[in-house]
Amino acid sequence: MTLWRLEWLRLVRTRRLLALTGVYVFFGFVGPLTARYLPQILERFGGDQMQVVVPDPVPADGIAQFSANATQIGLLVAVVVAAGALTMGALGEMAVFLRTRVASPARLLLPRYVVAAGAGAAAFALGSMVAWYETAVLLGGVPAGGMAAGTALGMLYLAFAAAVAAAVGSRFDGVLSTVLGALVALLVLPLLGLVGPVGRWLPSHLVGAQTDLVSGGDVAGYLGSAAVTAAVSALLLWAAVRRTGTREW
Amino acid sequence: MIEAAGLVKAYGETRALDGVDLAVPAGSVFGLVGPNGAGKTTLLSILAGLRTPTGGTVTIGAGPSEVAVLPDTPRFDPWLTGREVVALAAALAGAPGGVEEALADAGLDEAAGRRVGGYSRGMLQRLGIAATVVGRPRVMLLDEPASALDPAGRREVLDLVRRSRGEATVVFSSHILADVQEVSDHLGILHRGRMLLQGEAGGLLEGRVEPAYVVRFRRGRDAAASALAALPWVQEAAPSGDLDLRVRVSSAAAAEEGLVAALASSGAAVVSIRPEAPSLEDLFLEVTS
Repeated sequence: MTLWRLEWLRLVRTRRLLALTGVYVFFGFVGPLTARYLPQILERFGGDQMQVVVPDPVPADGIAQFSANATQIGLLVAVVVAAGALTMGALGEMAVFLRTRVASPARLLLPRYVVAAGAGAAAFALGSMVAWYETAVLLGGVPAGGMAAGTALGMLYLAFAAAVAAAVGSRFDGVLSTVLGALVALLVLPLLGLVGPVGRWLPSHLVGAQTDLVSGGDVAGYLGSAAVTAAVSALLLWAAVRRTGTREW
Repeated sequence: MIEAAGLVKAYGETRALDGVDLAVPAGSVFGLVGPNGAGKTTLLSILAGLRTPTGGTVTIGAGPSEVAVLPDTPRFDPWLTGREVVALAAALAGAPGGVEEALADAGLDEAAGRRVGGYSRGMLQRLGIAATVVGRPRVMLLDEPASALDPAGRREVLDLVRRSRGEATVVFSSHILADVQEVSDHLGILHRGRMLLQGEAGGLLEGRVEPAYVVRFRRGRDAAASALAALPWVQEAAPSGDLDLRVRVSSAAAAEEGLVAALASSGAAVVSIRPEAPSLEDLFLEVTS
């Protein structure tokens, strides 16, 4: 029994892995389907009084539909899963049990972060593959390079979201507080992007990468924010380790 | 093995610990007693590295993986089995063996495969004890280890603490003074954040508590009581029950030389004479009052 296995069991036995993969795979199926049949859906609900004209769907619309859902509900589930693992104070006595047996809090937090962030990223990748396949079947193929790069950048953003949860979780004793704190941080961040050209350097810039890259966008436009995201994630993890090491139990 | 000097822990204006010195020899069992709010848990938390003292120093002669801590209400992730909790503790201690033995010693061998979420409070306490002793830590810090246990469980914990003497340095707190007196070879009395008294248990008890003897009579108790009360080294000769007389003396040496002779000259029929063991409760009340 190791701390890595502990985290794996946390994912499996609490059905968090099921929730994560379920959400992303569900939207992977539903996104392209919605994009393909959007005109028919709108026509059915519009009735006779209203005529809604939408352009014919293109392959990128399938991925865009998946990405929109994935970055909202998917992100929420990923943050909840990460907060559940990274809020050490949520079960104080268990934290005492673990904290008193390891020399460095990094040894405790690293498996929690890697497994939680890894599960979120893997679920997103799985959902993306499903969306890619379904889009190809219903709407036509999207460029593999753009899809792969966009998915990788989305995974990086989820790893950043988990790092935010780690930093917030090191300061709270409740999972709900951590979830709310992390979501507020993640939602406020794009607002900073409204200030001049800062937005293209922020982690939130990565949220739209998948849709943009399958629509012909250039991956070079995301390298800066990817580097910033990786650096800020590392900084947040360092802060979480430091806070966990100095806080009182 | 464990030393602390001038430990202070302040929460605003309140001092949970106020200049506590502590010396726990290697391999000893140190019983920490004190009323609620005395600072016992705070002291154990500081020794465990879970809280930072406001002032003073702590030295523990063991690394983190060699120190095991048992909180007063142990809880574990409910989706783990008891066996997995103990196996995790063993792995973190760097000694993955001995899991089944620790579970059996704690009386959990049959429940080891069940999820912890279904354990009673007593079972959680036993599991905490198994997770503490597995891997043979060099230092064990136990906060009220028997508080949630039934009499049989309490007895097992006391036996376990007693068996650890010489192999590990144990500091344990308890409200049950008889338990502390039974298994501790060193004692500390903490009161309002101050260590009022500490040292080797036998010396503390015999040095501080006035010696007393219990004499059982077949007849002549009242006459003997009057005769004894007149002696200068007898503090008190008080009847106890129907047959006994409790003789409190100022000097054990004087009583050893004169008590038998005094009883014989009173003409009473004596069944037995036994020294009354000094009680930690008496010492505790004397020191904290």
